[in-house]
Parts: sequence; structure tokens; C-alpha cells
Amino acid sequence: MRDLLIIIKKELSELLRDKKTIINSIVLPTLLVPILLFGVMKVTKMIEKKEQHKTIKIGLVNAPKAFLHLIKTDTLNTISTFSEGDDFKSLIDNKTIHTAIVFPSNWKTQMDSLNISSIKIYRNSSKNNINQRVSKVITAYNTQLKEDRIAQLQIPIEKMKPFTKNYIEVGEQKELIGKRIGGFIPYLFILTMWGGCLLAAIDLVTGEKERKTIETTLSLPVSKFKVLLGKAFVASFLGFIPAVLNLLGLIIGLKIVDDIPDSFKLVINEMLNFEAVTLILLLLIPFSLFLSGLIISLVAGASTFKEAQSKATPIIMLIIIPLVLAMMPGIELSWSTVLIPVLNIGLGVKEIMAGTIDMMQYVVILLSLIAFAIGTIYFSYKKFSDENAILK
Amino acid sequence: MIKIENLTKSFTTSTRKGFKTNTTTVNAVNQISFQCVPGRIFSLLGPNGAGKTTTLRMIAGIINPTSGSAIVDNYDISQGSNEVKKRIGFLTGSTGLYERLNPDETLDFFGKIYKIPEEKLKERKAYLFDKLGINDFRKKRVGQMSTGMKQKVSIARTLIHDPEVLIFDEPTSGLDVITAESIIDLIRESKENNKTVIFSSHIMSEVDLLCDDLAIINKGSIIYNDTFHNFKNEMKANNLTQEFINRVKEA
Repeated sequence: MRDLLIIIKKELSELLRDKKTIINSIVLPTLLVPILLFGVMKVTKMIEKKEQHKTIKIGLVNAPKAFLHLIKTDTLNTISTFSEGDDFKSLIDNKTIHTAIVFPSNWKTQMDSLNISSIKIYRNSSKNNINQRVSKVITAYNTQLKEDRIAQLQIPIEKMKPFTKNYIEVGEQKELIGKRIGGFIPYLFILTMWGGCLLAAIDLVTGEKERKTIETTLSLPVSKFKVLLGKAFVASFLGFIPAVLNLLGLIIGLKIVDDIPDSFKLVINEMLNFEAVTLILLLLIPFSLFLSGLIISLVAGASTFKEAQSKATPIIMLIIIPLVLAMMPGIELSWSTVLIPVLNIGLGVKEIMAGTIDMMQYVVILLSLIAFAIGTIYFSYKKFSDENAILK
Repeated sequence: MIKIENLTKSFTTSTRKGFKTNTTTVNAVNQISFQCVPGRIFSLLGPNGAGKTTTLRMIAGIINPTSGSAIVDNYDISQGSNEVKKRIGFLTGSTGLYERLNPDETLDFFGKIYKIPEEKLKERKAYLFDKLGINDFRKKRVGQMSTGMKQKVSIARTLIHDPEVLIFDEPTSGLDVITAESIIDLIRESKENNKTVIFSSHIMSEVDLLCDDLAIINKGSIIYNDTFHNFKNEMKANNLTQEFINRVKEA
């Protein structure tokens, strides 16, 4: 144990003196989420503001007076009148107008006879701001016409409402948001963890070969298993720390970024309570060991940093695919998904954040991750003991 | 004391051609035997690729022999290589230093791994730093040092636990004459202190200066093994380098 601690201390001191490690494992993970949150909020707000003040050029054909009045009340609209035969697609394409509303020529007659008529709206579906604002005016005009007809038919307005709908929410808001964004959070910190483990494992194994210190290390009166275990612990620590800092960054980001709605902040704060964070961190410990064991076994035979990267990088797909699956709405934590590494942690974190985790399933995830960690560490030890690979 | 008997190391390599895998086994070291005794300096000479490094790695417990035995200070390397490692100071061209540590931290690390009591470690460190002139750069990171400085620190870390057996592979390579002289002094001092020393070098003047016993290894086999005195008496060429070349070519 004493030897192991000496090895860990030395490996840690060496790694933490490397600028690359400090930036990738400490600075970036801490700042990433607050910067992302701050940036996204500022940009969204800026775009919204710009869109609200944007003038919409509307082309009208046979527009009734009441509709014209409604359109004009929004001072940002500019109106041009066209005839029915005009090519509105070209007019929208060449930006003469943004949208066109074509009323039939017999609109007034149809309305006076209380008939159903139809209008054509030429629009580009990708222009959300324009379409929403035009739809709002059309809905207002439709409501106005309905009310006029009800009055004309002398039907009491309350008779037009046969029933009212009262939704009683049985799920907690925390559960709703937890299930929606809970899948995204492990995606964020597991990738950071992967990055931390990868960089550390390559430096500790392939880096030693490049710096010609592997023979020095192997000549120490310490078993290869202890040397490997020390390296695996340090690599997992340097994967675990960025993930924790990522979580911390998220909590700090939510506190310092102003533009996030208070209700959302409240729910997120409730989701990331002490119990939830502890349960998540407990899962991350064996998971980081699993990752470091896996990466060490992959890079043990590599003799250069570049070769090690090319050997380990494709494995990221095995991390991303289960994490993407975990974000999909139909895939839930069950006894069949509980043993699939990465997917189980993605789904588990989602359930923890929603407050709906089944503790039996949580224990099984934890035990399976410990088993996988032991498996990859043993496998990496076998690779590390291969004289042909390690002294290449 | 080191006693090597029929030591063999085979390496197996696999090459894949389509669906066919070809396995080739090569004996890097083939049934070699020699003995190094305390108080004498043993030189292991041989051209590049002769099997010197593999032999030294097996003696140091870094790799396991395929067959044969090596007894180092009464411990068989196949029984417990950690006990062997504790008794060896191993320095070769491939035993680099940890670049992000300074000499102080490097020696502390090795001292702790060799379980040297704190007070003794302090004394030993002071002695070696003084002897090798490391005090001026003891807080400088290894990565920022010159080759000479690094080699001095390497020698210090090899000697920190005062091992019974010392293995030096080209210890003066790339050093200025003054630094090389201080290292040669240390090797001589180790001999005087009754240590077992294996010394390998391509500088024949150093071999001439230090060597007591000699073995020449070529293509994994020992082609000469005797005292240096006898080797010199049997010499047909007029200098050591030419004699070494002739013997390798004749083998």
C-alpha cells in the first residue's frame, strides 16, 4: 500500500506539472458549462431582441378592411398590395416581401353569408419569427370573425363553451425536466471524463516510453501490478476531477448567469441536491477506473503519443452511441439496460436527476461498474506485463 | 555476486498476412553463462544487437528469462525479482529520469521506494549531491537540464540505496571529460567497497582503465569470457578496439 501511494504521489506530481493536463483537466471543465450557459443565454436574448424589432414586409391580396386594420396596428409591419396572379414564391425568394396573404375575391360575400372560406398564406417555414407574428394576426382576425358570427346568430357566448379543461399535474416538475435534460448532463461530463482519462493514461504509459523512463519504472522494486494500479488510479482521478468540476461548473453557472428563468433554476438546483450529486459521483468513481483501465490496455502497445491517440480515439464511439441512446425518450432504465456500461450510467443519471431512481437498480449499476472496472484493470495489467508491448 | 547459468531469452513475434499468421521465435540471448564477483569490475562487451541489453534487463528483473538461471546476491531472479531489484543499481541508456521532477524529488522518490530511513536518505543524498556536484541544480527540473546534469542525477539515483550490485551501461556516454572522470571515480569507489559491478562501454580506454573480468557477447552467445589480464595477454592486434573487432568477426 505504501509503495502504491508513493507511485500515485509521483505520477500525480508529474502530471499536475504539465500545462496541457492543467488546462484540459481543471481549467476547461470548470469554465466550460458557465461559459456555454452564459454564451447561449446572451446570444438567444440578442437574437430574440433583434427579431422582435424586425420589420415584416407583408404582401396582401383582396384584404378586408378589418384585417388591414389589425395588420397596421403593429407598426413594424409594412404592407404592399398585389393582385392574385402575382408570383409570390419569387417575391419571397428575392426578399421583396417576407410573406403573402391571399384572400379570395368573394371574401365579403362568403363572410356575410356565414359560409366557410379559405385564405392562402405564402410563407417560408424556416422563418419562425415572421410566421409566428403573422399567425398571431390571423388568429386574432379569426377570433374576431367568430365573435361577430356568434353575436349575429344571437347565441350567448357562454353556450359556445360546452366544457372547460382542468389539467392536474401528477408528475413533479423536477421529474419532467430531469427526464428531458437529465440525459444531456452525463453526455457532458462523461465526455470530459473520457478526455481526462485519455490524456493522463497516454502520458503515464506511452509518455513514459517516449521519455525513456519506462525501464526506470520497471527496474523499481515494486510489482508491475502496483505500478499499473498506480497509473490507473491517477488516470481515473484525472478523469474523475474534470467530471466533478463540470458538475460544479454547472451549479456555479446556474447561480451566476442572470438570464436563466428562476423557475428553471429552482428545479435544477433541486435536482442537483446533495443526495443526487453523491449518487452520481459514486457511479463516476468505478466508471473512471473502468475508462482508465480500458484506455491503458489500448495504449500499452503504442510507442508514440500519436499511435496511442489513434488506437484509443475510435473507442469514443462506444461512449457516444450509448449516451445518445440514453437521451432518446423511449429508452428507459430497466433490468435489461442496467448492465450495459455507459448506457446504464446515462440512464441512471437521468433517473437520479428526475428523482425516480430505483435503488435496487442503482446498486446493480454500481456493482456492474465495479465489476467492469476490475475487468479492464486486469486486462490492462495483462497488456502492461507483455514485455514485447511495453518495452517496444 | 552474480552467477548466470544457461540463461536464454526468446522473443516470439507474429506477423499476419491475410488470414495466415506467421509466428517467429528468435533467441535474443542463447544459453549464456558467466560470473561476476564482488570487488571486481566485469565488462560485458558486444556490438549493437548482440544481446547485451536483454542480458542486463534479465539480471535486473525487468524481463523474465525463457530458461536458465541468474543468481543475484543469493536471490534467483525467477524466484522474486523484487528482492533482486532492491539489491541492484541499474543504469542504461534507456533508464531516463522523470522530466517533471527535480533532482531532490527524484532521489526522494527512489529513496522511499527503496525504503531507506529518512535520516539515512538525507545523508546519502547530501553525499551523492556533493560528490557529483548536483547541489547547484538540485531544484531545477530534469527536463530543463543538460545531458551532463541528467547523467549525474541518473548516477545518483542508481547509487541512492547503496546497492550490492551495480549495472552500468555506457555511463559516460555524451559527458565532458571532467564529469566522466567523477563517474569513473565512483565506479572505482564501488569496487573498493566490495560491490559487484557490471560495466559496459564502447570506449575502450575506459574498459582498459576499469575492467577486471571480461565477456564478449555476439548474436546472443558468449564468444569470450576470462579475466582482462588474460585477454590482454592473448591479444593478436596492437590495440583493444582492433582485437575486439577481430574477435567479433571471427565468431
